[in-house]
Amino acid sequence: MSEDGASTADETEGIAAIDEAEATPTTEGDAEVTARSDNAAATESVAAGTTHTIEGDAILRLRDLDAGYGDLQILSGVDLDVADGEYVTVVGPNGAGKSTVMKTVFGLTTHMGGTVEFEGEQIQGLPPEQIIREGIGFVPQTNNIFPGLSVRENLEMGAYILDSVPEDQVEAIYDRFPILRKRSDQKAGTLSGGQRQMVAMGRALMLDPDLLLLDEPSAGLAPDLVADMFDRIDRINDSGTAVLMVEQNAKEALRRCDRGYVLVGGENRYTDRGEVLLGDEEVRKDFLGG
Amino acid sequence: METTDSSVLDTARAKPGLLFVVALGGLLLVDLLAMLAGVSLGPIGGSLSLGRLRSNLWSGIVIGLVIGLAGIGLSMTYSILSFANFSHGDLVSTGAFTGWGVAFLIAGFGDVPVRALLTVRDAGNASPADIGAHILTTPGAILVGLIASFAFTALIAIALDRAFYKPMRDRDGIALLIASIGAALVVRYLIQFVYGADRRGVTATVEASNLAFDPLGIAVNAHELTIVVSAVALMLAMHFVLQHTKLGTAMRAMADNKDLALITGIPTERVVTATWILGGGLAGASGYLYVLLRGTIQFDFGWLLLLLIFAAVILGGIGSVYGAIAGGLVIGIVFTTSTIWISSDFNQAAAFAVMILMLLLRPEGLFGGVTTA
Repeated sequence: MSEDGASTADETEGIAAIDEAEATPTTEGDAEVTARSDNAAATESVAAGTTHTIEGDAILRLRDLDAGYGDLQILSGVDLDVADGEYVTVVGPNGAGKSTVMKTVFGLTTHMGGTVEFEGEQIQGLPPEQIIREGIGFVPQTNNIFPGLSVRENLEMGAYILDSVPEDQVEAIYDRFPILRKRSDQKAGTLSGGQRQMVAMGRALMLDPDLLLLDEPSAGLAPDLVADMFDRIDRINDSGTAVLMVEQNAKEALRRCDRGYVLVGGENRYTDRGEVLLGDEEVRKDFLGG
Repeated sequence: METTDSSVLDTARAKPGLLFVVALGGLLLVDLLAMLAGVSLGPIGGSLSLGRLRSNLWSGIVIGLVIGLAGIGLSMTYSILSFANFSHGDLVSTGAFTGWGVAFLIAGFGDVPVRALLTVRDAGNASPADIGAHILTTPGAILVGLIASFAFTALIAIALDRAFYKPMRDRDGIALLIASIGAALVVRYLIQFVYGADRRGVTATVEASNLAFDPLGIAVNAHELTIVVSAVALMLAMHFVLQHTKLGTAMRAMADNKDLALITGIPTERVVTATWILGGGLAGASGYLYVLLRGTIQFDFGWLLLLLIFAAVILGGIGSVYGAIAGGLVIGIVFTTSTIWISSDFNQAAAFAVMILMLLLRPEGLFGGVTTA
């Protein structure tokens, strides 16, 4: 109990600290990193938290969630919250069920128990088409574009449920990813890995979702493109879209996110601000490779 | 010169199939030119009029368009539903019988009992051919019949989907393929039950139905012209739907990546229904046009034609709509021009030989790797 109490206090403090950091725009990336690592140093002695829920409003709430594929159960009793506009990362070893969490939110797994609540409504068991309407966008890890369709057609498919193509949203996505405007009529299958990832994100952003689910966005990208991709995700989050991300590049993901969840064997293990998780001896040793 | 020789040899060693095809093609070309020139040198040459070659090519284009039209649906169900549909040939027959039933009803209404007209059958002394269905005498009946063939076959295709394929949507391609063989048998023998098993004439013989087509120097049969115009119009319409409508884009998207289509919010079941309407409808229309070409109808002709349709689709690159059209044309032209060299008993074998040679050289087919787009 006392441990829980400590981490809650710590969490509140952490959110305040992040708010502060966001309020003062940093011109230099280095300065921000320093500020954050200072923060981490200050909390290093405190072990990572094990309270997996947040107080107050959350747009996404998973409670005691059991899910899997067919008869095979992967997740058991998972709790997870994402606040409005928050940037949350799920990390953990291979087979921890990270991707399953996302797929379950999106209705792509077998729901076995517990609830998924989005903006106050229970959405477990709804088909993906319905979940999109609720305001969630999903970018899968692989095969996340239509290679035979042009870039523009890929984006248009993202808004299929609307009667007409939202031109202003297409423009907004072209402004966000200018290279896609140039490649508009080109088949998406001919693009580079980084550009494909932009098409995939653009497609998921076509309905201007309140929550964006990203499954390993840096997977398969050349190392020099990874930082660029994380910067783009930061900007999407800065513009108000909450992000729930699964990432194998755990250190970088935790450095950038507001809060992180460590899943092990389909169960919650630790939940805390990214810096705290990065600073935790055990988390670092066991899940982040030292 | 020496380097050129060795590189030719290297290519020949790496691709003996290519060498064989080039040699055979060259030989046939030399032979063809010699025949046209009227030169005869041992086994090479002979005599062939340019007119016969032209009419062979024209017939090949006509039959090729019919096969290509039928192949579009087969290719679409392959790419969107991921199985080789063996009931496709019987959808071709379905279109022919339902379409001609309607065409007969309009052409012969009042003179012959409706039941006989609708079942494309003899009624007393009026044989189907005496009803006088012909594009020059009853153009309205022929055109309405074409539309009816599309509509009825689309309906049957959807009914088959609901009955057989929808409950098996998550099963693999082999299970669906076997189910489709069952569906094919059901449809074929239902057709036999309703329409009878005998082969009979359908179209009327009309004097002076060959229209001289001066620019090409060939006489074109009015029915052949009807087939070419209808088939090309339907293909262009299909192209428009695929490339310029939301539904067509969704069909291409689903052919590309079904899982992503689902999570993108594309209503995949609606796309599947549209696929059956378009693919099944085009199969029905092609069956109707095939009967217009041949002048006769028989309950299992679609099944027998399926092998050629498969050859066309595989040759063009299975899964590609444009490949199906191109493959149909190649198969059709080989089918008719091969009679210059071999007996017409073997021209179907020639079509398959070309398909096999083509696959040796380009296993993915003409448009392989290109999806429905």
